[in-house]
Amino acid sequence: MVSPLRKAAAFVVTAVALVALFLVAVNAGSLQVTPEQLFNGLFVAYDDTVSTIYDLRFPRIFIAMVGGAATAVSGVLLQAAIRNPLADPGIIGISSGASLAAVLVTGFFPALLFFTPVFAFAGGLIAFLLVYSLSWRGGLSPLRIILVGVAVSTMFTGIMSAFSSSGGATSSSVTSLVDANITMKTWDDFQTIAIYGAIGLVIALLVTKRCDLLALEDKTARSLGVDVNKNRMFISAVAVLLASVSTAIIGPISFLGLIVPHVARLLVGTSHKVLVPYSVVLGAFCLLLADTIGRTIAAPYEISAAVIMSIVGGPVFILLLRKARSSYGE
Amino acid sequence: MANNVFTISGLSFAYGQKRIFEGLDLSLREGVVTTLIGANGSGKSTLFNLMTKNLKPSAGSVFLRGGDVGLLRLRDFAKLVAIVHQRNTAPADLSVEKLVEYGRFPYRALGRRADAAEDERMVKWALETTGLAEFARQSVSSLSGGQAQRVWIAMALAQGSKVLLLDEPTTYLDVRYQLDILRLVRRLNEEFGMTIVMVLHDINQALHYSDEVVALADGRIVAQGAPERIVTSELLEQVYGISLRVVDVDGKPFVLEV
Repeated sequence: MVSPLRKAAAFVVTAVALVALFLVAVNAGSLQVTPEQLFNGLFVAYDDTVSTIYDLRFPRIFIAMVGGAATAVSGVLLQAAIRNPLADPGIIGISSGASLAAVLVTGFFPALLFFTPVFAFAGGLIAFLLVYSLSWRGGLSPLRIILVGVAVSTMFTGIMSAFSSSGGATSSSVTSLVDANITMKTWDDFQTIAIYGAIGLVIALLVTKRCDLLALEDKTARSLGVDVNKNRMFISAVAVLLASVSTAIIGPISFLGLIVPHVARLLVGTSHKVLVPYSVVLGAFCLLLADTIGRTIAAPYEISAAVIMSIVGGPVFILLLRKARSSYGE
Repeated sequence: MANNVFTISGLSFAYGQKRIFEGLDLSLREGVVTTLIGANGSGKSTLFNLMTKNLKPSAGSVFLRGGDVGLLRLRDFAKLVAIVHQRNTAPADLSVEKLVEYGRFPYRALGRRADAAEDERMVKWALETTGLAEFARQSVSSLSGGQAQRVWIAMALAQGSKVLLLDEPTTYLDVRYQLDILRLVRRLNEEFGMTIVMVLHDINQALHYSDEVVALADGRIVAQGAPERIVTSELLEQVYGISLRVVDVDGKPFVLEV
């Protein structure tokens, strides 16, 4: 069991690391500021360097943090809802469905840009229902849902790439969505992701008890007055919303929604009352880390956060898969 | 119907083409321990699932003290009837106390505790009654099979209902823990006046610990009543399709299951 002290320590350490990473991310690039200069520039007097950083780097950093938090919590909820520790919104196709919808809106209806998350949500839901119904055979086998998910995900990604490379993409924003590169983002983008993300995260915090109860056998959860099927669908929908919001602004990120919840469970235990808020902090940290590494490792070129996540996440996923196989017997 | 906890009338149910019940009628008395017995495929588990709202009858109704359970919301049903299912799993790091607290979920209003003091009192009572107070802070996964089964019963007790349903509560346990569980069940009935309905595989345990036995064969009730009144070699042949000797031990029937 995880002691309360350890949970508190995990929160504090991760939060401190996030703040430190934030300062590093602010300074990563050609312009540099000291924390003091940053504080003064932001709150005391106008500073040219700080102002540039504020317009160029801040939106990107905050978007990475909100997107990371949303994607991580989406993974937590998805894993609880379909009782599958390997569920990840990226792997099972939700992100690619959402991102296809986002690309179509960005490409064809740029006037509806603020509502991109709504369309992405619809796309994500379609992908999720497709995967869910195609892998249903009197029950959901954890590995079958992943196989079907990979197929659906690959298909959507293919359509998207075709669209992007056939010249249908007139703006660079489409290309950056396809590559999941958090570049050229503005405060408007942050506003969009923050509003929709906050809605999803608040709902997620309200359903933590239900997530706990879904970990019991279905009949036992029902005997406690939980309508298992209804709750499962609702929590899945919240997970899809969170993944779609992040995808609409950043693009599809794989493995983040898988790795963060796993590490979080090791550190703070399985109770969702703690797991969800901790995944917010850890998710924000991880995506900001991936993005910061991506834009510094080969500067002046940028490697997208999604690519970094795939390189790190792939091996971790294989490890988890090997571990899970023994407990699922497939 | 005043003294009946469950009244089943005209109940029909089928799994696809396979008909299990056709116009089944059955009344179970309030305040006693009733055990459903029957061979595999006799319909006792299906009946249990129909009584616990896990299956919907195609015709007929299950009444709980006169109210149709089909019309009850799950949450209201959970306040009236607690159920311990056969198979249970819990996250490895969940403590006994936290799991027993789940039994208070039906009383939460808008996701918040309605009455924290009452919740605490019921959880404490459930832990003490099942002899788990000293394990409260341990994880469920660190307990033995018999202790773990008591945790699930404690969770059901925390629901505060007067009716407790148990589906094969002794399966997977060795004989010592089987008796441990059955004695606890008996005590819940005698000390706290709880109505118990359970499904058991072991005939002698069913006879020894029940006030009333309901014997099912092929989706029909073939006998119902006090064990010493109804259990005969002929009945057992009808229920299980095998001839077994019944002897008398201390005034109670005892079936030689070998």
